[in-house]
Amino acid sequence: MKKRIDGIQLMSIPAALLYGIFFIFPLVQGIRLSFTDWDGMGKAVFVGFSNYVEFFSDSRALGDIKTTVFFAIGSALLLNLVGLSYALLMKNKFKLQDFVRVVIYLPAIISPLIMGYIWYFLLQPGRGFMYRAAEFFNTTIAWNWMGAYSYTIIVLILVNVWQYSGMTMIIYLAGLQSIPRELYESARIDGASKSQIFSKVTIPLLVPSIRINVVTNIIGSLSVFDIIMSLTEGGPGYSTESLSIYIMRMCYGNKTGYSTAVAMILFVLILVPVIVSFKFTKSRS
Amino acid sequence: MPKINLNKTAKVILITIICIICLLPFYVLLILSLNDPGTLFYEGNMFAPDFHFSNYIEAYKRSNIGLAMFNSAVITGGSLLLSISVGGMAGYSIARRASKFNYILFSVLIGCMMIPGIINTVPLYTLMRKIHGVDTLWGMIFVTSSISLPTCVFIYTTFIRELPKELNEAAEIDGCTGLSAFWKIIFPLLKPATAAFVILNGFGVWNNYAQAVFFLQSNKKHNVPQALSVFFQQFAGAKWHLVSATATIAIVPVIVIFLIFQKQFMSGLAEGAVKG
Repeated sequence: MKKRIDGIQLMSIPAALLYGIFFIFPLVQGIRLSFTDWDGMGKAVFVGFSNYVEFFSDSRALGDIKTTVFFAIGSALLLNLVGLSYALLMKNKFKLQDFVRVVIYLPAIISPLIMGYIWYFLLQPGRGFMYRAAEFFNTTIAWNWMGAYSYTIIVLILVNVWQYSGMTMIIYLAGLQSIPRELYESARIDGASKSQIFSKVTIPLLVPSIRINVVTNIIGSLSVFDIIMSLTEGGPGYSTESLSIYIMRMCYGNKTGYSTAVAMILFVLILVPVIVSFKFTKSRS
Repeated sequence: MPKINLNKTAKVILITIICIICLLPFYVLLILSLNDPGTLFYEGNMFAPDFHFSNYIEAYKRSNIGLAMFNSAVITGGSLLLSISVGGMAGYSIARRASKFNYILFSVLIGCMMIPGIINTVPLYTLMRKIHGVDTLWGMIFVTSSISLPTCVFIYTTFIRELPKELNEAAEIDGCTGLSAFWKIIFPLLKPATAAFVILNGFGVWNNYAQAVFFLQSNKKHNVPQALSVFFQQFAGAKWHLVSATATIAIVPVIVIFLIFQKQFMSGLAEGAVKG
């Protein structure tokens, strides 16, 4: 008998082609290019690990790693703290609840690049909205937040948290709503206090939501690009430059091979939270 | 009981403050965009706007925002269509055929789901240059849709696995091929999956900047963030009212779409989160 072609099996081929050509192939190509001195046009010469050596001996690159990791961890911590607090505050029905949820979520749908510009209008030293508002109340904001790394990086984290806490909140709300009411009631009957219920019932049952939020927040923030471009352009100096921006600038600077090596380093950095979270779930289940 | 009332008042005040914090930047943008061209930033103009609506007309004319919004719409529509058609079929195949090929494909997609686009953007750029895809809308459609494909396949596979298998058998008896059975019978049942995917990815594609910097370089091909960043660099420092008016024009359609679909949006997001 002639073997019939399985139409349903064939239906996964377009996806394999699309992903293979536009994602996997460049990814593999990137690994290869990271060991060359390619400038984007001429011949690529194999240079071994020298791009990686160059990266780890460049103070700008090391500063970018520090900025990127600090931004990611700071953002993830605050986003979860704020998002969970919002969710707890919004858990029970109240008037205008849907409206409030939409308002809190609203910033997350806007381009982070535009959001960066808007916060720039707000915060600009000497003439931004905040400065004028302080003036209106007869005080002055003397500090120049764009002048020093320690201020700038915190402003960037806060703007990021402001923009995406609504997203974290929605996931926590879904998690909170999936906890059966009976559990709370039986805990209350057993005489558990509010804080006991929170730490012994709510938090353990929220672990899946916490994991999703922490991992996606860390990964999302590790590849931060837009807000930094619009708010500080990586300044002062290169102090708030992220690895993503560094990759783009090196590529434009005709250091194509080097920029793919930086991408590989960022890739390894992103694998860390992914692996940790997989380990964490395995040990739990 | 006064204690409960106190709690309730505190909660109301807290929620009001949160809402103000969330909305303040939008208000600040609005004031600046309506500024009299002679006013410098927020000089003496903090609470009541100047209502200088002609800023919007001037901003629209001088910036590239109209064309950029059109480009963003084409890219977003095209990217979603491509992901949904390719990813939907793959999800169907993976859910219904436990072959080795499908297993490997699904594992690769899930394994790469978390990898952000910036990791392979540089080598992808060289590939796109070879096939003349740089500075074209179709090129950007392929780039963004390949980035969102794992999420798409994952959502469709999960949803299709929950559908009864008898649906296919019935279709096959009726003489449908796999392809037409999927599009005619299965796909219409997957509206929640399609909605969840559009919600999770649509705004991200519209707002894409990290890839647009590489793949949409000429003025004619700029999407919204690219056009805005160029306009900002051109006019920052002198024409703040025009920069902010352009930004306002750019975000209004996004907000309107979000408000129209906010019910589906919130439930789709929660569903996507629970399934993910």
